Amino acid sequence: MSAAATPAPHGVSLTGKIILGLLAIVVAGALGFFLLWVTGLGSALVEWTVDTGEANIEILRFVAAATGVLLFTIPAAFVIIYMELKIIAQMNMRVGPDRTGPFGALASLMAGLKVLSKEDYTPRGVDVPVYTLAPAVTFLASVLTLLVIPFAPGMAGYYMELGLLYFFAASGLGVVGLMMAGWSSFNKYSLLGGIRAAAAVISYELPLILGTFGVVLLAGAFGPADTSPLNLGQIVENQAGWVWNWYAFQQPLALIIFFIAATAEAGRTPFDYTEADSELVAGFATEYSGMRFGFFFFAEYVNVFILSALTVTLFLGGYHLGVDIDPILGFFGVTTPLEMSSIDPGSLGPWLLAIPLMVPPVLTLAFGGLLWMVKSGWGIIKSLVVGFLLANLLVGALFTFWALFSFEALLGVLVFFGKSFGLVALFVMMRATYPRVRIDQMMNFAWKWLMPAALLNIFITAGAIIIIKEYLS
Amino acid sequence: MTADREQIRSLDDPEVMVQTPATIYDAIPPLTPRTEREAEFYELGDGEMFVNLGPQHPSTHGVLRVVLKIDGEKIVDLDPVMGYLHRGVEKICEYGDWHHAISNTDPLEYAASMFSEALPVLSAERLLDLEVPRRADYIRVLAWELNRISSHALFIGWLALDLGGLTPILYGFAERDEIVEMLAALTGQKLLFNYMRIGGVNGDVNHEFLSRLGDWMGRAAVRINDQATLMNENEIFVNRTKGLGVVDREMALQYHMSGPPLRATGVPYDVRRAHPYSVYPELEFDIPVRTDGDSYARYLLHIDEIKQSLRIIDQVLHQMPDGPVMAKLPRLLRIPPNRAFAAIESPRGQYAAYAVSDGSDQPFRFRIHDPSFFNLQAVGPLTRGELLADIMAIMASLDPIMGGIDK
Amino acid sequence: MLATLDHRLGDRIVAPAEVMGDTIELVVRPRDLTDVMRTLRDDGDLRFELMADLCGVDTGLTMQVVYHLWSPLSSDWVRVIADGLSRDDPRVPSMVHLWPGAEWAEREAYDMFGIEFEGNRDLRRIYMPPDYLSFPLRKDFALADDASRGTGAGIRHQEHPIAPAEVRAQPVIRTSAGAGAMLGPDGESLAVSAGANPEPAAVESGEEPA
Repeated sequence: MSAAATPAPHGVSLTGKIILGLLAIVVAGALGFFLLWVTGLGSALVEWTVDTGEANIEILRFVAAATGVLLFTIPAAFVIIYMELKIIAQMNMRVGPDRTGPFGALASLMAGLKVLSKEDYTPRGVDVPVYTLAPAVTFLASVLTLLVIPFAPGMAGYYMELGLLYFFAASGLGVVGLMMAGWSSFNKYSLLGGIRAAAAVISYELPLILGTFGVVLLAGAFGPADTSPLNLGQIVENQAGWVWNWYAFQQPLALIIFFIAATAEAGRTPFDYTEADSELVAGFATEYSGMRFGFFFFAEYVNVFILSALTVTLFLGGYHLGVDIDPILGFFGVTTPLEMSSIDPGSLGPWLLAIPLMVPPVLTLAFGGLLWMVKSGWGIIKSLVVGFLLANLLVGALFTFWALFSFEALLGVLVFFGKSFGLVALFVMMRATYPRVRIDQMMNFAWKWLMPAALLNIFITAGAIIIIKEYLS
Repeated sequence: MTADREQIRSLDDPEVMVQTPATIYDAIPPLTPRTEREAEFYELGDGEMFVNLGPQHPSTHGVLRVVLKIDGEKIVDLDPVMGYLHRGVEKICEYGDWHHAISNTDPLEYAASMFSEALPVLSAERLLDLEVPRRADYIRVLAWELNRISSHALFIGWLALDLGGLTPILYGFAERDEIVEMLAALTGQKLLFNYMRIGGVNGDVNHEFLSRLGDWMGRAAVRINDQATLMNENEIFVNRTKGLGVVDREMALQYHMSGPPLRATGVPYDVRRAHPYSVYPELEFDIPVRTDGDSYARYLLHIDEIKQSLRIIDQVLHQMPDGPVMAKLPRLLRIPPNRAFAAIESPRGQYAAYAVSDGSDQPFRFRIHDPSFFNLQAVGPLTRGELLADIMAIMASLDPIMGGIDK
Repeated sequence: MLATLDHRLGDRIVAPAEVMGDTIELVVRPRDLTDVMRTLRDDGDLRFELMADLCGVDTGLTMQVVYHLWSPLSSDWVRVIADGLSRDDPRVPSMVHLWPGAEWAEREAYDMFGIEFEGNRDLRRIYMPPDYLSFPLRKDFALADDASRGTGAGIRHQEHPIAPAEVRAQPVIRTSAGAGAMLGPDGESLAVSAGANPEPAAVESGEEPA
C-alpha cells in the first residue's frame, strides 16, 4: 500500500448506523421499562390499558379486523399472481417462473419489490391531487369489501346487517378510481382507456347485483326471520349441512350470470379492457409507474379474490364443507365441538397408537415423493428430509390455528380458501384460453342478455317462493 | 460541420416552458400538407381526434405507425406511415455481387426467409437461363414448404394474440421451434438461413435434418389440429373475425392483393400453379380457396394451406432423386445484359423480383415486389367505419411483415 | 396472345412485342401509356386485370417505369416499359384510376427516383423522412458505404450538396442496355434493340475492380 493511498474512511458505515440505532432503541427501552417498574407507573399503565380496552372492545376488535384484512390482501395478491403465472404457463406448454425461490414461488414477491423500486414521478400536466389519489381509491375500493366476508364461523371482519349492500357500495368505488386515473393523466389514450373501462364496469354492475337478488330473496324467505337477508354471515349459515343446501343448486342461472358479470367487473379476459395491451397502449394506467401502478395491479388481483370469495359465500356454501363431518368424527371416537382440551386420549381407542405411527410417515412420503418427482435435481433422501420438514411445518401451522381459534374455524378457513382459490384458478384458466371480446359486443351482451336474464331469474325465484310458501307449507 | 449546433434547452427550463405551446403534446404536430390526400386527412371534423397507433406497439407486426382519425370508438380514416425499417435493400443489392444479394434479401421476410432468398436466386437463374439440378430443386421445395408451415403457425398465433388470446401463439412457437431446429440442422441458421445459392442450395440434407423431420411429421398434423381447434369454434374469436374486413373480388384484384387475402375472396390465383417454377408442376396439391373474404375466411385458409404443405412435403420426401445439389458456375458470375421477372408464392402472397443485369457481376436494378406492401394498402378502405378494436383483427389477418414492406 | 397484343396495340407501342421466356415485353411512350394500359385491362381478349408490379428503373440515360401485368387468359406475364422519361423531370400518367392499388407503388417510385405520377393524389414520400431531399435509387446518388464497390465510398453527408472539391471522383452513372431502353431522353428511338445480345454495357472506368 503506497503512502498516497486513499485515507481510511471515517465516520460510521451504513451497517454501523443500523446497529447503533437498534442498540439505542434497546437501551432506551430497557431504561424506560426499568423506570416504569421502579416508580410503579408501569402497573398503573397496564391497568389503564386493560380497562380502556375492555370498555372499547368493539372498536379494538374492528381495528384488529381491519388491520388483519389489509395485511391479508398483499399476500393474497402475491399468491394469485403466482398462480396466474404458473397456471397460464402450464396451459401454454411452458414452465413459468422456476428460478426465484422454490418452484419460482418468490417470483411474485420479486415483482412486487421491482415495482416498489421504480422511479416515482408525476408527469407534467397531470391533475396532481386526482392523479395521486386514484390508485388509492381503486385499491381501497377492493380492500374495503373484505371486511364483511365470512372466512370461518365467527370470523368475519365485521358482521354487518347490510353486508351485501356494503359490499357492492364499496366495490362500486372502483369505477371512480378508474375515471380519476383516466381523466387526470394528461393523455388522450388514458382518457379513452379509462372511459372504456368505466363504461364496461358500470354495464356489468347491474347484472352482478341483480344476480344476487335471487339469493337474497331466498335468504329472506327461508332463513331465520330476525336477521337481515343481506347479512353475509347469515347467508352462509343458511347453506349449512349437505351440498344440496348450497344456493348454487337453487339458483343456477344466477350463479352463471354472477360469474360472468364478476369476470367483467374484475377486468379479466375475456373482458379485460383495463389491460388490453394489444390495443390502445396500456389503457388508463399509461402514465402510472412504480408503486402507483402497483396499487392498480394489486387492486385488480384483490378484486379477483373478493369476487371469487363473494361467489363462494353467496352460492357455493361459504366455509361449509358440504358434508356432515359428525359421523366421520364419530368414527374416530370424538365429538363436536372439537376442542383441543376436550379430546380425551382414552376415548380414541386404537387410534391413539395408529395416528402417531401412520400420519407422520404418510405425510413425509407424500410431500417427499411429490418433491422428488417434481424436482429433478433432488435425490430421494433430500426430498424425504425436506418433505418431513414441510410436513411438520404444515401440521404445526394447522394445530396452532386450531389452538388459537377452534376446529370449526380451522376447517372453515381451509374450505373457504380452497373454494375461493379454486374459483380464482378458474378465472386464470379463462384468461389463458379466451381472446378478448370487443367492447361493443361486450356491452351488447351485458344490456341485452345478462340483465334480462337476471330479471327473469328474479321473477322466477319470487314466483317460486310465493308458490312454495302459499301452497306447499 | 459548418452548421453550428443549436443550444439544446430542456423543456424543464422555466423560460422554455413558458414559450413552449401546449401543442407540442399533440400526437400529430400541425404540418403543412404536401398532397391533396394529406390535406384531406389532416383536417379534423367535429368531435374527431388523432390517435397514433405508434411505431412502438405490441401488435403492428413490426414498426408501423398508423395515424388514426377517430370519432369516439369509430375509425373515420387512417394513414399508415411506413419507412421505420427501410434499409435500402434495393440500393445495397446494386452495390454488391449477385451472391451478396442473397444475404441482403434474407431479412426482408424474416419470418420465412427462404422465400426472400429465393428472389435473387430465381431471377439470376432466369437471367442466365440456368438449369438447376433436380435434387436441389426438391430440397428447395422442402425448405419452402417448411418455412410456409412455420410462418402460418406464427400467423395463427399472432392473430390470436392481437385479439387477446395468450395461448395459441405459444402453440405456434412450439411448432416453429421444431421446424427451426431442423432447418438449423440443415443450414446452420435458425432465422436468416442464407441457404439458397444461384444454381442450387448450399448443402445437401443430412441425417439429423431427416430424423428431426421424420419425428416432426409424425406429430405435425395432430398438433396443428390442436392449435386450430382452440380457435376455430371459439365463439369469441369467431365473433371478432367473422364478417370483418370483407374483401370482395374486385377490390382484391384492384389492390393487387395476393396470397391468402386474395384466395379468400374466391380467386384461385396461386403462383405455384399460375406461373409454375421449380418442381411444383410435378407435385400434387390443391389450392385452397374460400369465398367469404373476411378475416375468419383468411384464418381458415391459412390452416388449409398448412395441410396442403404437409402433403407437398410428404411427396417431396418420397420423390427426391439423387444427384448434385449445386450447378457448376464460374467463381465470378457475370450475367449478360438481360431482364427477368421471377415470382414465387410466399406465405404472404406473390413475392416477385424484377432484375436487370448489365454484363458485370453487380445487379443493375433489383426490384423486390413484396406482397405485404400491397396487402397492407387495403387496410385503409377496409377499416374506415370500423371500431378501434377491429383494426388489429383486420391488420393481423392480412399478415403483414414490416421487413418486406419497408425493404 | 402475342398476335392479339400486336394486333390491338400495334400503333401505340414502339417496337413489336417481344417474348422473353415467359414474359411478353412492350415498350411504350409515356403519352400513350394510359391508352395502352386501359386497352390491356379492359379488352375482352386481353383482360390483364392484375397489375403485378410497378417499379421505376434508372437506366443512366433515361428513367423508365416498368409494369407487369397478368391475365387469366394467358400464362405469360406482360411487361410494359414506359420508356424515355428524362432523368431531370420524369413525368408519367398515374395508373391509380385503373388500379387503386398502384398508389403506394407510385409513391415508392417517386420516393426512390423522383418520378412524378400525374394524377396520384397522394404523391409523398413513403420510406424516407418527409424532409429528405434526395432520391436514393437514382444512379447519381452514391451510397456512402466504404465496403461497397461504388463511387460514393467514403463520401459522407449525402444530404448536403456536394461541392466538386469534396468528391473523390466524379459520380459516374452506370448505364446498361440490359434495361431494355429503346427511347432516349428526348423520346427518339435508340439504335440498340432490346433483348438482343449487345456488347457489354458501358461500365465506367471510375469503378474500382472487385
